[in-house]
Amino acid sequence: MTAGEIDKDELVASKVWDHSLFARLLVYVRPHKRLFALSFLVLTLLFAAELTGTWIWKHAIDGPVRAATSAEDSAPFLRALYLWVGGYVALLLGMTVLRYHETALLNRTGQAVVHDLRTRLFKHIQRLDLRFFDGRPTGALVTRVTSDIENLSELFTSGVVVLFFDSLKVVALLGYLFFIDVRLAWVTLLTVPLLIGVSMAFRGGARAAHREVRARHARLNGYLQEVLSGIRVVQVFRREERVSLRFREALAQYFEANKRTIFLFALFFPAMSLAVYVVQGGALWVGVHEITQKSLTYGEFFQFWLLLNMLVRPIRDLGERYNILQSAFASAERIFQILDTKPVVRVAEAPRPIPRTSEPPHVRFEHVDFSYVAGTQVLHDVSFEIPPGQTVAVVGATGAGKSTLVNLLLRFYDVSGGRVTLDGVDVREASLDDLRSRFGLVLQEGFLFAGTVRDNLVMERPEVDAAAVAEALDAANASDLVERQTGGLDALVAERGATFSTGERQLLAIARALAGRPDLVVLDEATAAVDSATEARIETATRQLLTGRSALVIAHRLSTIRDADMILVMHQGRIHERGTHTELLARGGLYARLHALQFEEAGAA
Amino acid sequence: MTAGNTGINLSLGRDLAQSVLQSALVRPHGRGRGHPLTRRGSPRTGRWDPAPHHPTSAPALALLWHFFKRFLRHRTALLLGLVCIPLGILADVGVTLLIGDALDHARTADRSDWMVGVILWLALYALVQSVFRFYQRWLIVVVSRRVEVQLKQDLFDKLIALPFAFHDRSRSGDVVSRMTSDVEAVRMVLGPGLMYTLGAVIIIPISLVILFQLEPTLALVMTLPMFCMGLTMKLLSGRLERHSMAVQESAADISHRAQENFAGVRVVQGYRREDQQAALFERTSGVNRDNQNQLGNARGITHAAINGSFDMTFAVILLIGGIAAIDRTMPVGSLFKFVDLTIKVFWPLIAIGWVLGMLPRAAASAKRIDELLREENPIEDPPNARTLPHVAGRVTFRDVSFTYPRGNAPALSGVTFDVPAGTTLGIVGPTGSGKSTALNLVGRLLEVTSGSVELDGVPIRELTLSTVRGALGYVPQDSFLFSERYEDNIRFGASHDLSDAEVDALIERATMTEEVARFPEGKRTVVGERGVTLSGGQRQRTCIARALAREPEVLILDDCLSAVDTETERQLLRSLSSAGVGRTVLVAAHRLSTVKDADQIVVLSARGSVEALGTHDELLARGGWYADTWERQQRRETLVEEVSAVASEPLGPSGAAALSGTQGQGGAR
Repeated sequence: MTAGEIDKDELVASKVWDHSLFARLLVYVRPHKRLFALSFLVLTLLFAAELTGTWIWKHAIDGPVRAATSAEDSAPFLRALYLWVGGYVALLLGMTVLRYHETALLNRTGQAVVHDLRTRLFKHIQRLDLRFFDGRPTGALVTRVTSDIENLSELFTSGVVVLFFDSLKVVALLGYLFFIDVRLAWVTLLTVPLLIGVSMAFRGGARAAHREVRARHARLNGYLQEVLSGIRVVQVFRREERVSLRFREALAQYFEANKRTIFLFALFFPAMSLAVYVVQGGALWVGVHEITQKSLTYGEFFQFWLLLNMLVRPIRDLGERYNILQSAFASAERIFQILDTKPVVRVAEAPRPIPRTSEPPHVRFEHVDFSYVAGTQVLHDVSFEIPPGQTVAVVGATGAGKSTLVNLLLRFYDVSGGRVTLDGVDVREASLDDLRSRFGLVLQEGFLFAGTVRDNLVMERPEVDAAAVAEALDAANASDLVERQTGGLDALVAERGATFSTGERQLLAIARALAGRPDLVVLDEATAAVDSATEARIETATRQLLTGRSALVIAHRLSTIRDADMILVMHQGRIHERGTHTELLARGGLYARLHALQFEEAGAA
Repeated sequence: MTAGNTGINLSLGRDLAQSVLQSALVRPHGRGRGHPLTRRGSPRTGRWDPAPHHPTSAPALALLWHFFKRFLRHRTALLLGLVCIPLGILADVGVTLLIGDALDHARTADRSDWMVGVILWLALYALVQSVFRFYQRWLIVVVSRRVEVQLKQDLFDKLIALPFAFHDRSRSGDVVSRMTSDVEAVRMVLGPGLMYTLGAVIIIPISLVILFQLEPTLALVMTLPMFCMGLTMKLLSGRLERHSMAVQESAADISHRAQENFAGVRVVQGYRREDQQAALFERTSGVNRDNQNQLGNARGITHAAINGSFDMTFAVILLIGGIAAIDRTMPVGSLFKFVDLTIKVFWPLIAIGWVLGMLPRAAASAKRIDELLREENPIEDPPNARTLPHVAGRVTFRDVSFTYPRGNAPALSGVTFDVPAGTTLGIVGPTGSGKSTALNLVGRLLEVTSGSVELDGVPIRELTLSTVRGALGYVPQDSFLFSERYEDNIRFGASHDLSDAEVDALIERATMTEEVARFPEGKRTVVGERGVTLSGGQRQRTCIARALAREPEVLILDDCLSAVDTETERQLLRSLSSAGVGRTVLVAAHRLSTVKDADQIVVLSARGSVEALGTHDELLARGGWYADTWERQQRRETLVEEVSAVASEPLGPSGAAALSGTQGQGGAR
């Protein structure tokens, strides 16, 4: 992650408390209210037990211990002491059990909510249309379901619940202090704001300093990665010293950022302990005074002291909790932004079924206009048709609008004007399932998912059985390719199909399309160069794929183009020429000139 | 009892304890909001290097000592910082004794004016303690960061000096994790770890001695639960780390699955596989949740065990101290001292457990760092390396064979050819035939297994690296550029500072002038993620400009024209050949049209041997792989590219003129 990204991410929201966001989060809490209630119960019991502990100390000291100092026979006092200690040990054992549950339960609660939210978010993202995806780097989306969700989990495990409970504790403790001794309590009440002040003053600085360290660290590692991937260039150009200097600069910045954090923390801990000493000093001053006046017992002071200790931690952690809350709300806002995004491609309320006939479908583009961004029209009045069983090949420069045709036919996007029909049904009126299940889809990158080869061919389509897979592999010329893998169809495919070469991935993508026995094919031919043997295989497989099916092909292979029933030459969003290979040659237009150029070169060689 | 949670004093190690309970070790996603300790070195998105738990062998600990010597380079600051530790602790303990005595005194006194003195002393102790604690942390942690930075610089310098073969076999992720988590593990144990250990080693005996004088039995008995606590910390840290690792692995799975799905969304939606993929994702997320829960349980056990044993200390104090007070062998005020000192000893004790738990990993990390620093560099100047006063540029391969360290078959075998100075050699062959390997041998990025590569008739092994590499201009296959300003990428190539005019001339030669002018800040625009994204073709042309910036005698082009269209390729090749008569060019290519005008073309076989050598016409006439491939490529020659080249021109007579012009000059070199 680059420094820029961090800054941008953390700029989204700076609110510490956002009620509407919190209310929305509560929706996800509701299914797990039992866990939440249990967590609160455990926290309350634990707090009560802690208070009881201090109470036992007070009574043990003021009871048997003090009384014994003026008595002859210590035996009854010892018995009383044993009773107190016995009760104390029992209490401690109970607390140990509670402590386990405190941590485990809070964690479990947070994870339960977060798991729901993460799954929900993922499902939502998957249903958004391509306009959403095309505008965002994949990495940013991944961050939403990973880091942002993790931030939120902290909101539950150590943020809001604990913060809420800590505040309760502070108030309850201060109240309890009054119960023990009013003057002592007043002194405490007057000095405690100092503690809070230190904690909060530190908060902002620490946050900024940490962000800086993270950014510098990311940049440092980024540079290291970059140099490693370009190590050959560095070495051949003998620029070791230059990159070393650059690295040194980055390191120096990293070090400076670290120094600032170290300074802050070095300052924070003593400052905090100084503030605690002030609180304690005040209590001591008043306490001793009252003890000499006999208006306060030793046991009471002892208890008071212990309660004072209980007060420090929640206050000291206040700053940290505050930061957690802030970053969690920023994450929540980014997450809800996505959840609020509605797909632009909307499913019709009462979808029209696309009739299934024994014939491949008839596709029509009727006066289609389209723009991705308002004002920049990508397609102008494009009309053509794909009669049943025929292949239309589209050729043209990058940006001529070829892939847009595919996007519109599959309804990844909706037309801005005109319409696209399948057997007379406007694609906008059909259900997405009905529409997309008709296609055999082969996209450029030959995308494979992590899983087995079989998973990738079947794609959990109920109609694809073992026979269909075998048949498809045969037709795609890919049977031996699969057999070569250890495990055959059950061989594992690495992430993004990295175990296969580019050409092999293309063959498998063709097989995947064939396995569905589609009668309509969309093929975006890959431009990446592959070796000649694979090239020949792909050529044959493509022919198999296109025969007898209606097909829209973004063509890059001469053989595919030659075989097409109709060639569309796209130029700046318009159809510049159309016709069969022979017709276009005879016409002597752009296509013919290009073909001639090609032919001449080959002949001249 | 309450003190376990309350942490009355912010004494030494209090912050550490928090990090012990909350650090990345325990809370995997802790990004260290709280403390420098929790701010682990691992990158935000990175995974922990799964450091195996090596047994702490003596040599490993010796290695840690070896790294500690780096700390001693800053011994003044370090010693000052270490001296602050006992002074701060003494002041801290002093506070407890002061308050305890005041309380004892209060029980018998009937006036309280003596309290002024107590409060003044308290203020003094508090100030002294704060000042020392500030300097202790400031000095020691800054030193540890200094050491970190120097260690990283040394590692970096070592890395960039190591031969290509090293980088080829090690994944860059491993190297980066050595640079981050390994260095951090060592830093933590030797810097802050030492600070906490020393603090604990000082405060524990001091407290025990003081308490022993008050009530020996109690002082002895109460150490029992304390040791339990230290032990618990050490015992459980392994378990915590195991669970934490599992959590990180499953978190990485989530990330991968999301990455895959979002990147392949066209396929997912095109095949209507949203539900299926969502179910898979839910399963992955569920595994993570389960792992998180297990980790939470382990943390719960640790939390409960530590606090439980701590609390038991208080029960012991209440029992034995109470008995002693009842028997009047100890004043009641001493109970306070016991309790308060116990609280102060609590975190340092945990610190020891924590440092002990860290040691094996730190030792393993130290070992890995040491290995890297000791990695031998076989490609170095021989003792009596020669230089050439003037390089003409003749390149000769004499029966060259090369086998990759882990390869079972040679990548090149018995390759011989001679490229006279100023001529061009094309290298072609099927994928995996060793084209790139041959080029890497020229720059001595790899070392020949047998035979020799010669520059001007001298084996390059006998020349200094500077002589060999100084004569080369290299254009890599992956067209690597730095995420720096565009012009800096070109200046990178030159051995002297280039003037703006020279940079412009190079951009012109790479046919990039118009495109660069369109960048937001022209040639000062940053390239890459943070700036302008270049197309494959633009990157390749920029790499060529960079190589030309050196005025090299030998230019090496590693299949670097695959992403430019044929027309730009022709222009570039023209520009390259006009760039300097007398420059030797070695060009590997997948597309045969790239090399067809070379003075000679060597065809490598799939096994890495020379299949044929000759000019384009000779090779065509001879038939075989070259002629077949040529024919196939011509047939396949992407029509679309030609369409792009022409269709982007305005249509009409001028376009046609451009077309015929191209044709006329086509292939001129």
